[in-house]
Amino acid sequence: MTTKRDAFALDPGKDEASRRLLAKVVRTAFPHKTFPDAVYQRSADAVLAAASGTPAQKLGFAAALHELAQSGFGGLNDEAAALAHLKSIENTPFFAFTRATALVALYDDPEVWALLGYEGPSFDKGGYINRGFNDLDWLPEVRIEEYEAGK
Amino acid sequence: MKKIANDEAAVVIIGSGAGGGTLAYELTAAGIPCVVLEAGPFLKSEDYHNNEWEAFKQMAWLDARTTSGSWRVAKDFPGLPAWIVKAVGGSTTHWSGATPRFKDYEFKTKTTYGDVPGASLLDWPITLADLEPYYDRAEIAMGSTHRHGRPALPANNNYKVFANGAERVGYKLYATGPYATNAEPYDGRPASIQDGFNFQGDKNKSKWSTLVREIPRALETGLLDLRPDSHVVRITHGADGKADAVLYVDKEGNLHRQAARVVCVAGNSIESARLLLLSDSNRFPKGLANSSDQVGRNYMRHMTGSVYARFDKPVRMFRGETMAGIIADEAGNDPARGFVGGYYMETLSLGPSFLASFVEPGAWGPDFTEIMEAYANTAGMWIVGEDMPQATNRITLSDTARDQWGLAAANVHFDDHANDVAMRDYAYDHAQKLYDAVGAVASHRTPPYPSTHNLGTCRMSERPEDGVCDKWGRAHDVSNLFISDGSVMTTGGAANPTLTIVALAIRQADHLAAKLKAGEL
Repeated sequence: MTTKRDAFALDPGKDEASRRLLAKVVRTAFPHKTFPDAVYQRSADAVLAAASGTPAQKLGFAAALHELAQSGFGGLNDEAAALAHLKSIENTPFFAFTRATALVALYDDPEVWALLGYEGPSFDKGGYINRGFNDLDWLPEVRIEEYEAGK
Repeated sequence: MKKIANDEAAVVIIGSGAGGGTLAYELTAAGIPCVVLEAGPFLKSEDYHNNEWEAFKQMAWLDARTTSGSWRVAKDFPGLPAWIVKAVGGSTTHWSGATPRFKDYEFKTKTTYGDVPGASLLDWPITLADLEPYYDRAEIAMGSTHRHGRPALPANNNYKVFANGAERVGYKLYATGPYATNAEPYDGRPASIQDGFNFQGDKNKSKWSTLVREIPRALETGLLDLRPDSHVVRITHGADGKADAVLYVDKEGNLHRQAARVVCVAGNSIESARLLLLSDSNRFPKGLANSSDQVGRNYMRHMTGSVYARFDKPVRMFRGETMAGIIADEAGNDPARGFVGGYYMETLSLGPSFLASFVEPGAWGPDFTEIMEAYANTAGMWIVGEDMPQATNRITLSDTARDQWGLAAANVHFDDHANDVAMRDYAYDHAQKLYDAVGAVASHRTPPYPSTHNLGTCRMSERPEDGVCDKWGRAHDVSNLFISDGSVMTTGGAANPTLTIVALAIRQADHLAAKLKAGEL
């Protein structure tokens, strides 16, 4: 394990340990207890795919990920400690890129939508006109017309 | 479709949105042939995506732009100052639909507010009375609910929270409109199916846009030559100083010239100003129609912000018409609140994809995920009010950034005025109180999104030295050049601007048609 942790992955997208490490970054940055590992891994993979631009970009990202591995972040089982570690690298280009890219991928994932209670495309299902657009029942029904005396 | 020869001096309209699309319909209906040059593609309703990012990539104007100034958008979205559309129909294809009118005093804010330090307030050269008949025509064209016999839309879930909160804090002027989306079939288009997708283009065609009404009707007259993927890059003039042609780039990058008898610019405030600045010449060294040095200045974007509140019970704000909920109690001018001008509160909903990116840009960690975790139990509103015009808030040509054609990109500089900040703080506070009144567990103050309401930059003025165009939108410097979009607004008012842009365009069309028929243009 120790040797694996110290290995420099030239193509972290094809390196299992790197993929899992980045997924842990995403879960720590956007912690949802009900989300399965798979959605975090998909988001991390989207970051890895986006980081594969020029050799300089690849190198910068791989080097930052290598440093993260060396720092022992992968072994931090305490959520607060993992969060604190990310806070310490919050202003690095690596984290800024990972945060921004992972955020878009994570919350644009239909599995995440379902976990959050969002129902996605609706036009093909006839909209919500007959599927609960007005089913909120914990407040009284309310006026929709303009206030008569205000006209 | 009509084909107008490139060397035939035509009435040329640049842009096909609220201003350009309306003008094209009104002029062709009056028997006047027009060329419409639209920078974007001809997307149809069936092309739209019920997916926020896919729709954004399909519709949004994503050409290079830069930002500067102290506004938060410059930090959060430095390359995306505005969220507008590049496609036939312009930003009417993604607007939400709220159609309040300007109030009487909003046409004369310099007189009403007096001297506001740092603000370049100016009274409009027209009054509400001048515009009222055109507001009527615009509301009828757009099918505004609560107006001219059009029924109200029903209350959706987000509105129920919003309106109950309004009632409990003592507001009275709440309703589901006026809102230019059909509650029942009207004007050949169906009733809303409450599908919740507005900013992504309405696949059901219940929402008014020039794509579903004015453009097809103008094409039906046989007098419209509509050219999508035609990005205008320069307006040229003759030795007499009158506009004589426009030059545009097709999607392959080829340059074309269309001779012009009249040119109407309706590219939305950022691009309209940029086009005039790009059209400099020996006669107009600071840009076409810019002897006043006012082109690009007094850029306004409305005071905006959002509040998202979470509850311990489901809301499902995404079900239903996005902005079919308006509170007007704060829309008047009451300086006792600590600021001049007013603002509206309007229901707003984003899907998880966009909420994550916009609710608190840059945020991460447990405080952020708590907001996302509560998605299904969240209600949202937008606050939108008058911002102060400032001469230094302006569109300029970037020294360094270039668009895909190699032309100088627009830089959008904006600093919030102290009045904007005071209004936003007050509005946030009152929005949060409204949600507290219906039992919110917590609420979040979301900063402004990239601008959807882009106004000013070519303002109307009585005196040529104070603005760019006269009360008809005619450039003070160039007698056959007209500005036909929200950039003519002398001040911005509190109301969502689309209705007023359409009303102004109908009024301008009447004026143009009369002048053209009289041989005076």
